[in-house]
Amino acid sequence: MAYAIPEENYDLLETVREFAQKEIKEQCKEYDVSGEFPQEIYDQMIEMGLHTLEIPEEYGGMGLDKVTVAALLEQVSIADAGFGTSLAATGLAYKAILISGTEEQKQKYADVLTESGFACFCLTEPMAGSDPGNSKTTAVKDGDEYVINGRKCFITNAGKGGFYVITAMTDKSKGIHGMSAFVVDADTPGLSIGNHENKMGIRCSTTADVVFEDCRIPAENLLGEEGQGYKIAMKTLDLARPYMGCVAVGIAQRAIDESIAYMKERIQFGKPIGKNQGLQFKLADMQIKCETARQMVAHAVSLQDTDKKFSVESSIAKAYAGDAAMECASEAIQIFGGYGYSREYPVEKLLRDAKIFQIFEGTNEIQKIVIANNLLGKF
Amino acid sequence: MEILVCIKQVPDDSVEVSLNQATGKADIEKIAPIVNAFDGYALEMATRFKEAHGGNITVVSVGPDKARDSLRNCCAVGASKAFLVKDEATEGSDTLGTAYTLSKAVAKIEEENGVKFDIIFCGKETTDFTSSQVGPMLAQLLNLPQVTNIVGLEPAEGGLAVKQETEEGYNMIDVATPCVVTVAKPEYDPRYPTMKNKMAARKVVIPDITAADMGADTALMGETAAKVKVAKVYEPAKKEAGVKIKEQTVEETVAKAVGIMLDAKVF
Repeated sequence: MAYAIPEENYDLLETVREFAQKEIKEQCKEYDVSGEFPQEIYDQMIEMGLHTLEIPEEYGGMGLDKVTVAALLEQVSIADAGFGTSLAATGLAYKAILISGTEEQKQKYADVLTESGFACFCLTEPMAGSDPGNSKTTAVKDGDEYVINGRKCFITNAGKGGFYVITAMTDKSKGIHGMSAFVVDADTPGLSIGNHENKMGIRCSTTADVVFEDCRIPAENLLGEEGQGYKIAMKTLDLARPYMGCVAVGIAQRAIDESIAYMKERIQFGKPIGKNQGLQFKLADMQIKCETARQMVAHAVSLQDTDKKFSVESSIAKAYAGDAAMECASEAIQIFGGYGYSREYPVEKLLRDAKIFQIFEGTNEIQKIVIANNLLGKF
Repeated sequence: MEILVCIKQVPDDSVEVSLNQATGKADIEKIAPIVNAFDGYALEMATRFKEAHGGNITVVSVGPDKARDSLRNCCAVGASKAFLVKDEATEGSDTLGTAYTLSKAVAKIEEENGVKFDIIFCGKETTDFTSSQVGPMLAQLLNLPQVTNIVGLEPAEGGLAVKQETEEGYNMIDVATPCVVTVAKPEYDPRYPTMKNKMAARKVVIPDITAADMGADTALMGETAAKVKVAKVYEPAKKEAGVKIKEQTVEETVAKAVGIMLDAKVF
């Protein structure tokens, strides 16, 4: 019924749950309407240290196991998926450094992250979404610096991040093998934030373009070696995808929680609507999807700590959870009937929040390509 | 300054409680235990005081083993030491018995810490029994000055300047230390623990203190010593639905309400 986390971590779960319910759940509504960034609420989250959950102990983090991190992330996401997305996207950026950075880079950016509260992973471009190899952003070596030019779009936490992990072409002639990965510190001259997206959902998370105009970074900000950028990006996404699935599970769970409460209180035909077997079956179907998605996320993140491969499981977790969130949100609106369609009630927001989880960090179609390629291999 | 905060673990007061017909007592078994709200305000006030003026905070509770969780939560938000007074002899104590137990615990902890407390904080009342008696009784037993219902405090010459909340407004009171203060709700809410502090609090050792450890007289605690005994526990009568008055204009609504009250001979 929940993530199976070590006994001693239940008190952390309770603290995050209480914080999310008391400080995010009601307060996020006005920001969902206005689109304004809820800075004060994020400040509280940063004060609590929720953005540091994934920093390993050796770099100053708490050394929490991955399933516990998922459980805590879900509690935030139940209150609002935008907050969950911001946290997960920060984790995505730091993971790239964890898997490809030097020890100095891992420690430096753990410290930057702890201080700033956010980080950004910049892969997507206007002409490079599902096809990141079509990247037009360039990184040209000039002495002991690289000069970056290009535009990244749909970047979560843009303008808030303490650092930006970016991919750029160091050798266009080599296609994806000419792509490299770099870290760009916030406030580097030549880095600016462009259009903010006026999104359908997850509006408490900020999404914008990140523009590089003759942006000079030290050569030591290269991650790994030149030409490894595509591989680093794909491995990073494999690690991070289940956590986006985790945020989607939070949406599904919220849909279930709201539905249960409404089914008990709404009276039609002289009885609570929850007495109708048709709706009971609907609720049960929602729970089957939500719990299955949750345990797939738990399985995918647990595999990361073994020497087994986990690409397929990551893709399954992310794709399935996105679908589960959409289905549960839609059914919740159905259960609420006409009231479900109104912004006065909490469930229409869940559907608007859920849709993106079938799209970002690799569309569900891309996930199916990953899964099929792994199954079929070369033939 | 050396500070002690007395806390009690109580059932979550946001959950509705019903009477268990079989036992004749409130049905609280399944309700999650939490730190009493006013004790939480007291700890937050003490922590802000410590951050501004220096000092150390110890927390103490009289309760069963599970009260240790609440003490540990307190260590994640400002307390550096914690003690649990755990002895069957304390079960069923009335407020005087509890105050006596705490007064002996204060002496014992001062001995452990090697220093006397300057300020002893209590919540103004608990959310389960709301007697508001333990703080004042404790002050009396320790022969210390007390100020109840405070919402703020600052150091002052010879002691403290405290802000006491009353129905009409506020009193500003000077009190010498050592003293006991009971805390009402200040302008601010208790802080959330940071994840790091929660992890650090896991390592805090919380020793048990028994009646024997404190040299306490068990004849002065527990159910047999209680001078106030619970005669009956019952649920309050359900409130009847009120009369809803809503006319076209505010003037008409008020006129109708006054008319109803005149008919009922309210005045």
